[in-house]
Amino acid sequence: MRIEVGFAQAPGIIMLILGTIALVASTISTSTILAFIGLGLAFWGAILLYIRPEEYTKKVLLEATLSPSLTTLNQMIQEFAYKGDVTYLPPKYFADPETTKIYISKHKDTSLPTPEQVQKYENQPVARTPRGMLLTPPGIQLSRLLEKSLGTTFIRTDLKNLQQNLPRLFIENLEIAENLEIRAEDDMTKSTTIHAKITKPFYADTFKEAEEPSQLTGLIGGPICSAIAIAITKATGKPVRITDTKSSEDGNTIEASYEIIEE
Amino acid sequence: MSFPLTFWDISLWLAITAIVLLITSELISPYYGKTNLLINKKRLRNVALTVSTLFLITVAIRIATIIISP
Repeated sequence: MRIEVGFAQAPGIIMLILGTIALVASTISTSTILAFIGLGLAFWGAILLYIRPEEYTKKVLLEATLSPSLTTLNQMIQEFAYKGDVTYLPPKYFADPETTKIYISKHKDTSLPTPEQVQKYENQPVARTPRGMLLTPPGIQLSRLLEKSLGTTFIRTDLKNLQQNLPRLFIENLEIAENLEIRAEDDMTKSTTIHAKITKPFYADTFKEAEEPSQLTGLIGGPICSAIAIAITKATGKPVRITDTKSSEDGNTIEASYEIIEE
Repeated sequence: MSFPLTFWDISLWLAITAIVLLITSELISPYYGKTNLLINKKRLRNVALTVSTLFLITVAIRIATIIISP
């Protein structure tokens, strides 16, 4: 069996070996100084090996692969000419309890379809009907990753819980953004409008490089805004619309407003 | 041939290591915007807390020894 030692692991392994040798030598020579040196080297060597980074991808690579898919989504919506409201439908509209999709109506101010109507087209990635179309949201995988980090599905949480846990997931667990603030206009349990402020999001450069988003794709949101919309729709069990997204000129701050639709 | 460090030497070493690890873990926290450091910060924090706990256990043992001994 051949063990491959990476360049990043080499300092840790060398320190661990030197530390072990020093510890053995200290036992033989009964030297306290050598024992402290050995203990330190072995411990920090083990720490260096233990805290080594998980698998990372270069940011430029991620941007290069993500931008075309967002541009395609933008072009596809423009081509189909669905110009109505963009609504994130909660899982109760689907047979699969973990599914969330975007419904874009053909015209503005039309009522939402019934769960029975939606379930006919549920398994199609892009389902087009005369009244509207169903799309898989761009933040679906990110929301699944957030759920995995949280250890539970957003369906089992509520808005208050979301307000407490989402910033921790964004900042500490996944390091997607430097800061995330979620606030409601009044009481979090009763409010129908929720505001999210994302500071220094990881995807900031991607959106700057992507094609100028249309008004409609702005209402779908990028992966981060979309993932938050999915989390809200799952937690409340009600349809959600992104009413506004604002990005600062340098792309360091994104502000999004979400409206919970009372059925 | 015996290990030259006593229990109290280990306790002191644990205390110094715990302080260094706790301060490092706090300074590189993503809450201060340090999201470009490619190390597993969660694991570092866990190690810092474990070493601190071990030090506190040695302190508890010391206190217990003082109380119990006549």
